[in-house]
Amino acid sequence: MHGVFASWRAALLYLLAWLMLGLLLAAMLAVSGAGWGASLLFAVPLALVYANATGFSAYYVCRAYPLDRRRPLAVAAGIGMPAACVAALWCALGAAWNSLLAALAPDAYVPVASNPVLASMFGLGVILYGLAAAVNYLSIESERVRQLETQRLQMKLMAQDAELRMLRAQVDPHFLFNSLNSISALTSLDPAGARDMTVQLAEFFRHTLGLRAGHMVTLARELQLVRHFVAIEQVRFGARLRFEAAIDPAAAACLLPPMLLQPLVENAIKHGIGQMVEPGLVRVEAVRAGSILRIRVENDVDPDGAGGVAGNARGTGLGLVNVRQRLATAHGHEASAHWARRDGRFVVELALPARAADEAHPATEGA
Amino acid sequence: MRVIIVDDEPLARAVLREHLGAHADVDIVGECANGFEAVKAIAELAPDLAFLDIQMPRLDGFEVVELAGAKTHYVFVTAYDQFALRAFDVHALDYLLKPFSRERLAQALAHARARLAAPAPGPGAEAMLALVSEAQARHQPLERVLIRDGARVHVIPVDRIDYIEAQDDYVAFHADGRTWLKNQRMAELESQLDPQAFLRVHRSYIVNLGAIARIEPTGKDGHCALLKSGARVPISRSGYQKVRDLLR
Repeated sequence: MHGVFASWRAALLYLLAWLMLGLLLAAMLAVSGAGWGASLLFAVPLALVYANATGFSAYYVCRAYPLDRRRPLAVAAGIGMPAACVAALWCALGAAWNSLLAALAPDAYVPVASNPVLASMFGLGVILYGLAAAVNYLSIESERVRQLETQRLQMKLMAQDAELRMLRAQVDPHFLFNSLNSISALTSLDPAGARDMTVQLAEFFRHTLGLRAGHMVTLARELQLVRHFVAIEQVRFGARLRFEAAIDPAAAACLLPPMLLQPLVENAIKHGIGQMVEPGLVRVEAVRAGSILRIRVENDVDPDGAGGVAGNARGTGLGLVNVRQRLATAHGHEASAHWARRDGRFVVELALPARAADEAHPATEGA
Repeated sequence: MRVIIVDDEPLARAVLREHLGAHADVDIVGECANGFEAVKAIAELAPDLAFLDIQMPRLDGFEVVELAGAKTHYVFVTAYDQFALRAFDVHALDYLLKPFSRERLAQALAHARARLAAPAPGPGAEAMLALVSEAQARHQPLERVLIRDGARVHVIPVDRIDYIEAQDDYVAFHADGRTWLKNQRMAELESQLDPQAFLRVHRSYIVNLGAIARIEPTGKDGHCALLKSGARVPISRSGYQKVRDLLR
């Protein structure tokens, strides 16, 4: 069912309103001289019949003449014509009902429907039809708003999900294939090492698969992911890759969007250490300064510039811009991301509003 | 068969070493952890076959081939590189995808043996050079120029170059008060350089716009560029037009 008959409660309320109107009509007739009994007998059934007639027809008329797509004049004509027709039919029905009652109970019933009464019934019918149309327009409109709202929510959820899926996919395929190659080497050289590496790889991917869109994670948890990643890369790079993390305990409890730190460390290894012949250091530092969480990822770069400014501008650029965008989506202009090459090191600095897991949303620390 | 292994990851070298150990005719004469070492080793040891990783610090696998020449046969070893894979397919050269099986390596070795026994049937040095130039196209505009001098490799960042001069079959790079010669064609070089930074002002000269101090008239109708280093570079009439258009 549609319109006012969409739910039982709405239909009941609607019929109750019309019952009131019927009583009002009866009261008016009674006041103007007709008997109370006759007035009620005449007016109330007519009101309820008209309630059903307008309730059904007005909905379809309103759908046929949507307010936002038709010109006002067309809408007025579109509503006015059926209103006049239905009201005229109602009057005819009223006259017939009047005669029927008079024929069935000539003693008890004193006819109430005179020409002036029928004329005012016609006018009232048109107005009531217009009112019913207005109610239908309102309900259609509120339904549309509700649909838009749910649609918007669904879109947002889908976008978040897509973003996370993209981030997971962004984990460099080189990483997986090179890791498998290392395992292939370790199986004969160092079987225990091979087993450790498969465990690390499994932990890393399990962790990324467990992330849920829109759920913030603590810095401590994100750092766990980074440590798995670094442990795997250290098997490949050997002594060339050194890693340090200096995380202030207050900072470790702060929340941030998932997979924010990992791409930065991945970049540091790929474009920094991976381009160096000498061993290099990747360092992650985080402090909480009042209401701001500051994170810093820095790595050594090749002094001869092979993986230097140009290399960084091209390869690292996309990953860094992505991180900046995600920060902006999560925190607006409260967050910032800057990067620069400084004294033979590549430095990325993030600043975002500090919010600990237990301060605001204890439930948001996703698994 | 004399073989060298080039990979920056010790474990990746270990896999190759282990698999190659099963082939009695293979003699591993060297192992290198980066491109510079590889160029040096290939120049000095002249191996028959080199297993080359593509992603390496300083010089990648393609740059090693460009510098070390096509006398040695190369088998590229890479984890995943869609550009390179396409290039490999086009030129039908052998390559191994990490991780690879013992059988796949044996197949690559059989290829190499066949090629060594009957020199240059089918795609040989030409295909290799085409592959290299295709790989280089990904690095455009050129960021650095690589020049081999015996077993040594010089890396010149392009922003340090003042000007480039054509000399017979060579081009001469003038940078930091020194001159390096490289066997390359002027037109090819011009197409690789960033057109916003380098301009061919003369049939025989390409100049770095950032190195120009001023433009001076010479003779009745000619011009030359006076560089910050003090060098003078002649500008042809059409070259002068280009300079004016660019500086306007």
